[in-house]
Amino acid sequence: MLVPVFTLKLSHKILPRMVALGKYDGTHPCLAAATQAGKIFIHNPHSRGQHITANRLAQSGQDSDISLLNINQAVSCLTAGVLNPELGYDSLLVGTQTNLFAYDVHNNTDLFYREENGANAIVLGMLGDVSSPLAIIGGNCSLQGFDCKGEELFWTVTGDNVRSLALCDFDGDGKKELLVGSEDFDIRVFKEDEIVAEMSETETITALSSMYGSRFGYALSNGTVGVYDKTARYWMIKSKNHAMSIHAFDLNSDGVCELITGWSNGKVDARSDRTGEVIFKDNFASSIAGVVEGDYRMDGNTQLICCSVDGEVRGYLPGSQELKGNLMDTNAEQDLIRELSQKKQNLLLELRNYEENTKVELSTQVNEVDGERGVIPANTQLQTALSVNLGSDSQSAHVELCISTSNDTLIRAVLIFAEGIFEGESHVVHPSPRNLSGHIQVPLTPPKDVPVDLHIEAFFHVFELTRQLPRFSMYALSSPVSAPEPLSYVNFTISERVQRVVMWLNQSFLLPDDTRIQSAPFQVCFTSLRDAGQLCIKIKPSGEISVCTDDIDLAGDIIQSMASFLAIEDLQVEADFPAYFEELRKALIKVDDSHTMCQKLTADMADHSNLIRSMLVRAEDSRLMGDMKNMKKRYMELYDLNRDLLTGYKIRCTNHTELLNNLKAVNQAIQRAGRLRVGKPKAQVIAACRDAIRNDNINMLFRIMRVGTASS
Amino acid sequence: MELSLSRVDYLQVGVTSQKTMKLLPASGRKATQKVVIGDHDGVVTCFGIKKGEAVSVFKTLPGQRITRLELGGAVNTPQEKIFVAAGSEVRGFTKRGKQFLSFETNLTENIKAMHISGADLFLCASYIYNHYCDCKDQHYYLSGDKINDVLCLPVEKLSCIIPVLACQDRVLRVLQGSDLLYEMEVSGPPSALALNSGNGGDSGEEVLYGTSDGKIGLIQVLHASPVEKWKIGNEKKRGGILCMDNFDILGDGVKQLLVGRDDGMLEVYNFDSANDPVLRYDHALSESVTSIQGGCVGKDGYDEILASTYSGWVTGLTTEPIHRECGSGEDLKVSQEMQNKISSLRSELEHLQIKVLQEREKYQESSQSSTAISAVPIFNVNDKFTLSKDDASYSLILEVQTAIDNVLVQSDVPIDLLDVDKNSAVVSFSDCDSEPNSNYLLATYRCQANTTRLELKIRSIEGQYGTLQAYVTPRIQPKTCQVRQYQIKPLSLHQRTHCIDPDRPVNTLTLKGQFSFAEIHSWVVFCLPEVPEKTPVGESVTFYFKNTFLDTQLECTYRKGEGFFKSDNISTISILKDVLSKEATKRKINLNISYDINEVSVNHTLKLIHPKLEYQLMLAKKVQLIDALKELQVHEGNIDFLIPEYRCILEEADHLLEEYKKQPAHLERLYGMITDLFIDKFKFKGTNVKTKVPLLLEILDSYDQNALLAFFDASA
Repeated sequence: MLVPVFTLKLSHKILPRMVALGKYDGTHPCLAAATQAGKIFIHNPHSRGQHITANRLAQSGQDSDISLLNINQAVSCLTAGVLNPELGYDSLLVGTQTNLFAYDVHNNTDLFYREENGANAIVLGMLGDVSSPLAIIGGNCSLQGFDCKGEELFWTVTGDNVRSLALCDFDGDGKKELLVGSEDFDIRVFKEDEIVAEMSETETITALSSMYGSRFGYALSNGTVGVYDKTARYWMIKSKNHAMSIHAFDLNSDGVCELITGWSNGKVDARSDRTGEVIFKDNFASSIAGVVEGDYRMDGNTQLICCSVDGEVRGYLPGSQELKGNLMDTNAEQDLIRELSQKKQNLLLELRNYEENTKVELSTQVNEVDGERGVIPANTQLQTALSVNLGSDSQSAHVELCISTSNDTLIRAVLIFAEGIFEGESHVVHPSPRNLSGHIQVPLTPPKDVPVDLHIEAFFHVFELTRQLPRFSMYALSSPVSAPEPLSYVNFTISERVQRVVMWLNQSFLLPDDTRIQSAPFQVCFTSLRDAGQLCIKIKPSGEISVCTDDIDLAGDIIQSMASFLAIEDLQVEADFPAYFEELRKALIKVDDSHTMCQKLTADMADHSNLIRSMLVRAEDSRLMGDMKNMKKRYMELYDLNRDLLTGYKIRCTNHTELLNNLKAVNQAIQRAGRLRVGKPKAQVIAACRDAIRNDNINMLFRIMRVGTASS
Repeated sequence: MELSLSRVDYLQVGVTSQKTMKLLPASGRKATQKVVIGDHDGVVTCFGIKKGEAVSVFKTLPGQRITRLELGGAVNTPQEKIFVAAGSEVRGFTKRGKQFLSFETNLTENIKAMHISGADLFLCASYIYNHYCDCKDQHYYLSGDKINDVLCLPVEKLSCIIPVLACQDRVLRVLQGSDLLYEMEVSGPPSALALNSGNGGDSGEEVLYGTSDGKIGLIQVLHASPVEKWKIGNEKKRGGILCMDNFDILGDGVKQLLVGRDDGMLEVYNFDSANDPVLRYDHALSESVTSIQGGCVGKDGYDEILASTYSGWVTGLTTEPIHRECGSGEDLKVSQEMQNKISSLRSELEHLQIKVLQEREKYQESSQSSTAISAVPIFNVNDKFTLSKDDASYSLILEVQTAIDNVLVQSDVPIDLLDVDKNSAVVSFSDCDSEPNSNYLLATYRCQANTTRLELKIRSIEGQYGTLQAYVTPRIQPKTCQVRQYQIKPLSLHQRTHCIDPDRPVNTLTLKGQFSFAEIHSWVVFCLPEVPEKTPVGESVTFYFKNTFLDTQLECTYRKGEGFFKSDNISTISILKDVLSKEATKRKINLNISYDINEVSVNHTLKLIHPKLEYQLMLAKKVQLIDALKELQVHEGNIDFLIPEYRCILEEADHLLEEYKKQPAHLERLYGMITDLFIDKFKFKGTNVKTKVPLLLEILDSYDQNALLAFFDASA
């Protein structure tokens, strides 16, 4: 059995996910972690006694091997590693909601300091063809990479706020790609600034960790952890606890990394990368804050280091060869026997069930149906049908799942498991005993346009079946003339047969059975059940398709879905979204305003602080001279000024939030413009948009969004 | 000495009941003992271990579910005759499996508990105790509540027969002949009894009892009154006791106490110099431990603890060390045995799989035909729904012999589901429509692989009553589910007790009308938990209850035609009044309800609540400060500058947080009960004060006892 090789009890709290291990002087590994009150502590067990107290660094009053670093802001991400290969030692990188700075712990100096719009996640390493290591931060829809001088060498946008980042050789070309997990439940893979893959998950992705090759682990905010190999999910498990930190580490010395997960209930487990089977677990008294690795004892062996939020740190050495991967306090053979025996017992039970069934069959043929035992005809079937319900006065429009039995058998309850469309992971319909019937309608309202597998179980005899909810189920077919056509459109040409497009339509929408579409040209119109927005798809015989909708996200979804169905690699489109573009224009103006406002406020603040200084001196002078009247007056003034400063600060705060929101809107717009295209044109649009914003050329930006290129 | 035991799984039989496995005494030259176990299929299996493998000695044919298995024999000879209780029959087998006895008792119910001593046979059905000698009826006793276990003090030591019954109403009843000698109240419903050291100690008068809320005690049953020797509480909130045994597993010459619990915990207690028990060792099995015994089974010379679990596993915790190093010859042999065992199991499995596949196909085929029918397959669900005193909440434990896939919980009354640490299932709550389907709670628990036992915690509100349903679906083909129903009673937080404080000011509710004793008893059963369903014997009966949350009390005395309910809590009386009149109306019985309200009782109840409320408020305040104080500590580097009160909070921080976490929503519940008290007080006066409730809540927010009392008085 594997036991910790060291246990430390640090007297500081550790904020979740804010733990990094680095050799800040090139030789001694130190643990850095964010703690309360906007501080970072560095635990250095190897060099006691010495120390400087200057700049940010201060010796902790309680422990000689802990130094404290004042950030004066809530730390939002933290990492350590080689940023400048010439230095020969690690730098500490700290992100907050407004800043990113790189810090040289050894020399107690800042390497660079940048004002950024939030850093929710950070990763340090080599990316693609970029020659120097980059510190990549993920903020509000934006991704930025900085080198050791603080120069921005990498920039792109993504769909939503970034929550996790990792570097991984996703396509096996020997260069690292960037994995980005965001709040819109997507994991995106960036090969430099081009998206090469997108995987949809069911919740916010809170952690990503590269394992080896193209394999990586992920964790979601609903307690799921799992492993992907490229775009295929190997396994996933869901727990009622939350995964706080994941890390890849070879704990059983078999040459392959396991996925180590630190949970919110204080559990740490190591799972096999192939099967998800637990090979080791341990328990802490409080939630895990972070899992890192390093040679903390400096004896040449790398340990797995787990930290809890209460400051407990445990280090584990990988199991030796003799343990044969047997890290838990059990006997593998015993377990195997137990498992086989359990299987046998289950089979025996099943067999007995069949026997009982035939027995009942024989007996009931004589005395009819025996209500007690719950006997039903064996040919009972459960039928399901999906349809669009336009709603009534009492009920809003929804997708309706109809579940019925093929005879008079009653349904006691229906249980549907599906990720992402219910509040939890399941939905239950349980009619009262008076209202039992063989027919149940379940209203569904998926909040996002994603295909969902519904796993349906109906009681009393359990019927299980799985049904897929089409991606665009929340759109009802409507007649083309019923509503004015949306002004916005996307036009593009494909070289596919029309039948294939019709197939896509059938698969992605809930079309009534009698809908028949024969040949081009044709036009189909839909109404959204969410906001009654119109969607119109027109196809001409030439293969020219236009998608008319005011919802740019929907247009993007439709193009992406169609492209993947028809296997289109590159697609350039022409698009116009007048209403959306107008909003964007406003947002851009607001961004400018906010910037100017921010500068003005900063200048004001500088003025005020000068004033305060002089006023304080004068007030103290008055006090020394015994001029109480003047002193009082001065202090009153000072008080007023202080109040002004506070109001100023509040304005600055609101201004900043507004700025962030607008910037997010701009970033999202670029991302959306990209989503209207597929493949190369997509990357081109994003890059061109970025240039346009850099050059402050708003008209150019809109032009790019419309036609896809900067040049005419 | 550190006790280190290694686990060995020997064999799996069918689902087992409590106390159905025994070790036969060692016979002849051999030191190893044989194991005999009876299961729900009615099969008695006897086996020994040879070279690590279970070798069957005999196995009987299936029959009725075996509820108890005991060993017996003539007094002062080896106890090696096997007796099993199944249905209302007792069967006897020799140690070679020959049936020598088949005794059909005159009991109308199934046998629940059995004890054997020489030619004396003690049997208990739900409420009935029967004593037979040589299969002839001797004595009979009807207990006031369900009997969980029975034993008889050793005849060879005491020369008279003194049976002890463990009854559900928290009482041990000591009998003499057909009469009650005396009864003794214990801290929880006793679920298992055992003779201390297997023979009642030196005096032969010592009896161990375990309760279903996890407590253990030792009493000495003297002729006139019992003496309590020691008691073990249940601080760790472990499961209820199912079985106990005494065995010297440490090998130090003193017998340790072995305990098996219904949450899978297996414990060994040692005795210190003052003869008080100290926990020495525990091991967690994943399901209920139904029987436990110490002995030597696996290998000559190595003692072990043998346990059987709910799903029929016979597991040993042996002192024999299991070496893992490679190379040494003996170990290779061990692993060879293992390999054989595994491969034989594998081939057996393959056989079964083929057979199952055939049957499955047949079943599928039958689903095509229009005449065939399909019946719900049966599986065993072991469930327990109990009120836990410590946090005034219900715990629901579901245990199935195979892995559970999911559990759907539905309730038609508002209740809260609380998080349980032990429960690893992913819970998800579904939207409820209280109209027209009367669902107040719909939740699913999707279990992790290999979960056979699920524990839920439920918080109810007094006055809101209805049914809680659990749909249990195990991972077994053909898929099926079972519904279990649990009543949430109107006075759900009350618990039976046997003595109350007579000096409290009480409110009285009097019922008079044309109803029978059985009718009023059924109403009381409907309103209150822990009341036996059977109508008590005699003309009238009195039950005492205690509110687990507020410590208020209730006394119910009733007979044919009249009933008196006395409580110091006016809300309790109000709930009873509402429910009883509703029940009576339903049965069209004309009831004359009168009540006598004692104004003093309200203030008395408020004073009872006061210390709890004050403690909770202080706790909440302190917990709020912890984070800020810790930040100051980090900032300043030390805490010398803080006032002692704050320093004290910092020092106790961990303890405070733990305490706070233990009782979620405690304060809200107290507020709710005070509000009820307020409304009920004035309801009896005929005034509706619902409009004044916000004012009351304001007063509670800045709590002061006198202000609250004044408010209650002034609002008149």
